[in-house]
Amino acid sequence: MKSIVAGALALKRVKPGFVKAGFGKLGFVKAASFVIAACVLAIAQSSPKVNLPQVHLEADGLTPRPIEELTGTTIARHYALAWHDLAEALESNRSGRIDEEFVGLAKDRLTHRIAEQEQAGVHVRIVDHGHRLRAVFYSSDGTAMQLLDEAQLEIQTFDGNKLIDTQNAPHEYIVLMTPGADRWYIRDLEEVSSKSF
Amino acid sequence: MKCGTRGIFAICKRLTGLALWCMLPWCILSWCALPGWAQTAELHVPETVEAGHSFSIPVVGSGQATFYLVGPDHVVKRSVSLGSELQIQSSDVRSAGLYQVILCVDSTSSCTSATFEVKAAQPAHLSFFLHPSRVPVSTPDSIDATAFVFDQYFNLALTPEAVDFRITPASGAGFSRRGTTRKGVAWMRMDSTPHEGRVQVTAALGNVEEARVIQQVAAEACGLRMKAVGSGDRVSLETDPVRDCSGNALPDGTIVSFTKIDKLGKSTVDTPIKKGIARAQFSVHGRAQISVACGVVLGNEVALNGGL
Repeated sequence: MKSIVAGALALKRVKPGFVKAGFGKLGFVKAASFVIAACVLAIAQSSPKVNLPQVHLEADGLTPRPIEELTGTTIARHYALAWHDLAEALESNRSGRIDEEFVGLAKDRLTHRIAEQEQAGVHVRIVDHGHRLRAVFYSSDGTAMQLLDEAQLEIQTFDGNKLIDTQNAPHEYIVLMTPGADRWYIRDLEEVSSKSF
Repeated sequence: MKCGTRGIFAICKRLTGLALWCMLPWCILSWCALPGWAQTAELHVPETVEAGHSFSIPVVGSGQATFYLVGPDHVVKRSVSLGSELQIQSSDVRSAGLYQVILCVDSTSSCTSATFEVKAAQPAHLSFFLHPSRVPVSTPDSIDATAFVFDQYFNLALTPEAVDFRITPASGAGFSRRGTTRKGVAWMRMDSTPHEGRVQVTAALGNVEEARVIQQVAAEACGLRMKAVGSGDRVSLETDPVRDCSGNALPDGTIVSFTKIDKLGKSTVDTPIKKGIARAQFSVHGRAQISVACGVVLGNEVALNGGL
């Protein structure tokens, strides 16, 4: 809670008037042209058992619809939760909580991969150093958002207990998120080379 | 050997005066003498591959190794012989994304890795959204169409592609708009057309087509007028056929409000349009003024001077 207040004060310092206008329609429009520093760390602090990766969402100039402040915060939070669950699933080879944050193709692909990892005796450990998310498309009816993620990840691949590979380069992802009843789900997650980004 | 290299190093240093430069041959010799050098495998992977296309990876070296392929939805582990070609089946690379190839030589346990990217194949599916499902006629920027382009394996096609949006109204000439995908998404926004009825919008990319239908309904009433017919202290009110500015009849059930102000005060009757016309009756006491409205549109006023 303290961090959320601190975050709001920081916003006020960076862009005077933003916090004041944040409750009106004008605030929503302003939110669209502002980098949303997601309060993911604050949320992580309020629930000490979950150590969420850091996610920063930038939604400047988003078309055809601007993003609402609350939507931005929700997306950043659920994206962080998704990566937390994904890392846990790839390391333990159990797809248990994948369906809480992933749907459709993204969920099917991950579930399939986890099953094959287990079959091969392989597991993957992700050391997550944070994500810079940039929203690039938000449909006018609010049913789909496309984002680009520049993730700082250290990916270690194990065969049994033997470390067989470590990847420490930045990773880029194209993400498609859709809203559900109480959260935003990842519907598509494709890693691309930096050239395609 | 070490004594020999030390001697060479001393002579070299004396001749050139550069200690670091003289250490270089010693380093190379030492590295080459490491056991297993001859057993290190080399991987030469292509930079990009089209989804669903088989290919092979030449592997330099000799002996046995364990090969791993780790992709977005697929993991392969198998024993291979070095010095041959690793066959990657089309079914191994259906999902777009980055794939990791790891090769571990069995005799030394040393591993080599490489990465390649699988890109989406030719567009084969369109995921098409049209918003909203009902829209008033002649409303600017009221219709949004969004198309996501996927290949046959439902990978987002990231290469820019031209998507045609063909609009076919119930009456009047059809037209089309072209949009180019960015990161697999094309969208366009347009005004609704002047006539009510169904409008079909088709997104087309090559031979792939997806159609959606939107219902255009009459907009707000335009030129709303009523006439009054008196009988004793009662007055019957009836509108002209209620239409929007493009001449479309407002649908039956649309509410029209008649408001009377006389010496007893203000009284309002809300009544639905039936067969294009709204009707109401009032009892009037003394001078009265009656107005009609439909939604945000005000119609004419009728003044009654102590009955009709």
